[in-house]
Amino acid sequence: MGVSAAASVLVAAAALAASADARFREANDIARAGDYPAAIAAYAEIAASGAETASLYWNWAQAASARGAQGEALWALLRARELDPADRAVVRDVERLRAALNLDPAEITPEPLAAAARLARRFRLDLVAVCLLVLSVLTHAAHRLHPAAHLARLVAWATLALGFLPGALAVAGTLARPTGTVVRRGAPLLDSASPTAEAVGTLREGEVVPILEASGDWVRVEDNAGARGWAHVADVRRLDAPPRAETR
Amino acid sequence: MRPTTPLARAALFLLLCGFAVAAPFTLRSEVDAPRIGVEDQVQLTITVEGSGAPDEIALPALTNLEVVSGPFQSTQVSIIGGSMTQSRTWTYVLQPRGAGKAEVGAVSAGGETAPAIAIEVVAGSVRPREPRRAPDPFRDPFATDPFEEFLGRRRGRAPEGKLLIEAAPSRTRLRVGEPLVLTYNLYTQVSVTDLQFVDAPQYPGFWVEDLQRPADSPSGQPATVEGEPYRRLAILQKLLFPTRAGTLTIPAATMKIGIPRLGFFDSGGVVRRSTKPVEVKVEPLPDQPGFSGAVGSYRTSATLDRDAVALGDAATLRFKVEGTGNLKWIDRAPEVAVEGARVYPPQAKSSLEATPGGISGSRTWEFVLVPETAGALAVPPLAFRYFDPTAGRIETAQTAPLTLRVEAGTASAAVPLPPPSGTTARATGILPLRADLDPHRLAVPILGGRVIALAAGLALVLHVGLLAGGRLHGGPWRRGMRTASPRSVRAALRDLGRVGGERMSKEAASALVEKALHEAFGELEEKDETERARAVRTLLEEVRFVRYAPQLGDYSEKIRALAERAAEAVRRWA
Repeated sequence: MGVSAAASVLVAAAALAASADARFREANDIARAGDYPAAIAAYAEIAASGAETASLYWNWAQAASARGAQGEALWALLRARELDPADRAVVRDVERLRAALNLDPAEITPEPLAAAARLARRFRLDLVAVCLLVLSVLTHAAHRLHPAAHLARLVAWATLALGFLPGALAVAGTLARPTGTVVRRGAPLLDSASPTAEAVGTLREGEVVPILEASGDWVRVEDNAGARGWAHVADVRRLDAPPRAETR
Repeated sequence: MRPTTPLARAALFLLLCGFAVAAPFTLRSEVDAPRIGVEDQVQLTITVEGSGAPDEIALPALTNLEVVSGPFQSTQVSIIGGSMTQSRTWTYVLQPRGAGKAEVGAVSAGGETAPAIAIEVVAGSVRPREPRRAPDPFRDPFATDPFEEFLGRRRGRAPEGKLLIEAAPSRTRLRVGEPLVLTYNLYTQVSVTDLQFVDAPQYPGFWVEDLQRPADSPSGQPATVEGEPYRRLAILQKLLFPTRAGTLTIPAATMKIGIPRLGFFDSGGVVRRSTKPVEVKVEPLPDQPGFSGAVGSYRTSATLDRDAVALGDAATLRFKVEGTGNLKWIDRAPEVAVEGARVYPPQAKSSLEATPGGISGSRTWEFVLVPETAGALAVPPLAFRYFDPTAGRIETAQTAPLTLRVEAGTASAAVPLPPPSGTTARATGILPLRADLDPHRLAVPILGGRVIALAAGLALVLHVGLLAGGRLHGGPWRRGMRTASPRSVRAALRDLGRVGGERMSKEAASALVEKALHEAFGELEEKDETERARAVRTLLEEVRFVRYAPQLGDYSEKIRALAERAAEAVRRWA
């Protein structure tokens, strides 16, 4: 009974993956045909279905770039980097796009802890930390069993210390504030979360801003100059979650 | 032969100054008499000539002399062969302190040194005296020329000849963007020293470039103004480009002109002269679409840095305009559109020089082309429109079409490179899309911060538990046992190693082994019946036996054997 249930879950997952793959190829064909808005809509649909990958966002960035939406392209690349920090092509092109948008490196990395989180994900520092801690406990126990094995004691303390370092980095990464990328040129920074709010400033396209608060279709952000205000989720896309369907 | 006319003196002065140009600068120190009386004064003159001359010269060491007045500084500027030569003079009046020998020390500046000067001082006075005047404490010692009456020369600051300056345009009627050379000439009948504008000349409505001063003879060219002979020297040249149509006026410019000293005690003078305003009539340029604003004579060329590239690589297209005119004005690059390639905004490079005919040289725009399709890409002819003043119309220079062969294959990592200057360059070819969704599946999901923190806390608790268990109970597996510290074990093994290695009595050797065993194992409990305890107890009994047994023979072998067994026990159990 249990085996058959697991098998049916696996089959369903495989079918879903196959469907996402097929949809992805269709979207690519649409993009190659030059219908970038339709291709982007298809990529968004795939992302919303949960099949988020770095390749999906890479292609999304290409379509957005071809459409002239550089901010959206940068957001897609940054999202791809979040999903696969080891993808060097993505990292390289984030840097190119940043330079092209005349953004300072600090303007796309407002949260240093987010970089720590990426580092932890890229090198699986969470697993490294847990393995080292387990090894530390085991070697300590071994030393207790065989007191003459002084090396075991050394290993126990060394692995304990080493385990704390990557662990601290991984934990610190989880404390990073969520961030979002400004995807629209001239996106307004509003004084309240309302369509009738007054604009208190303008956000720079491609700038990555910390998200201080979220309320419905609005997020409260702080730009790199320190100005705080509200922006629509269609203008500032989150980097820690798949995009929402545009509401305006 | 002494020059008698003012013109001849001016020419001689300018020619003499010409010889001073060769060295960076020269330094001289002179006195007006090598032998003076105690009642006389001597004049020390320190002169630097040439470019790079220092602004200040320190007073040299004086022996048997003191400064009565000075320093009096004067500057002379001469225009020779199109370059300025400057000389500065510092003059001191010195008085001897007593009869005997006096000396002016060596003068050093900027690596140059003028030697010391010896002066003989005799009693009384040896110099011809002026008629005595009432002493005036505020009198300038150089206000009068003691040789004036003797030479019969007339005193005064007014130049002995005439001086004029003029601003001479190369033409007064031209079009916007055409060059005009404005030359400032000095007409002089006397020698002059310093020349400088009172205020910087103004050129409203003109773009101004500096020109090299024309090479001229040091004494200038002969010229006649209103029937009078002058020497004419070109002192400054400017290249002007009118920037708007209409009648433009170059305002008058005023110069201060220095007159050299006429006598030894004359400090010279300064006169002011102004140019007349210059009026220039400027006609507009014809207006045509695509006209770059360039005026002059130009030719164009276009090149590709390579004939073939792999798909994904970039090629550079260079569009070059060269000629003479107002090329420095032209910033706008031609429009370049290549079917099947992304074209990025260009970088401009210039190699330009201002000449009397205009700005000559070349300007090159470099476009980066990134092909997006394989095959032969055609780079269309590039046009450059400019106004040719000779023909009086707008001309078009066009480059030949070029072909770039793009080979399919190793496209480098896809480049969503946007235009660097923020302008929008749309892709017209293939997009570097990834073919597969390629899910990045993780065998183990990313552990959250809480899980890692929990694991770390658990590890700490376990470590503390292990430590506490060992301390409180000694560990259920090793009850009754004592583990020596590494230091005790090392000390015990060291002691045991000494046994048998040194000449010592059996009592001393046994005591050492016993001490080492106590060091390593401490006091053994009575109830402890482990193998370890039994072995140590046996060893101790044997050691004590040897220690207290009567000396009936040689126990050295026995002691050595006991020490080895004890060392083994320490290594195994301590």
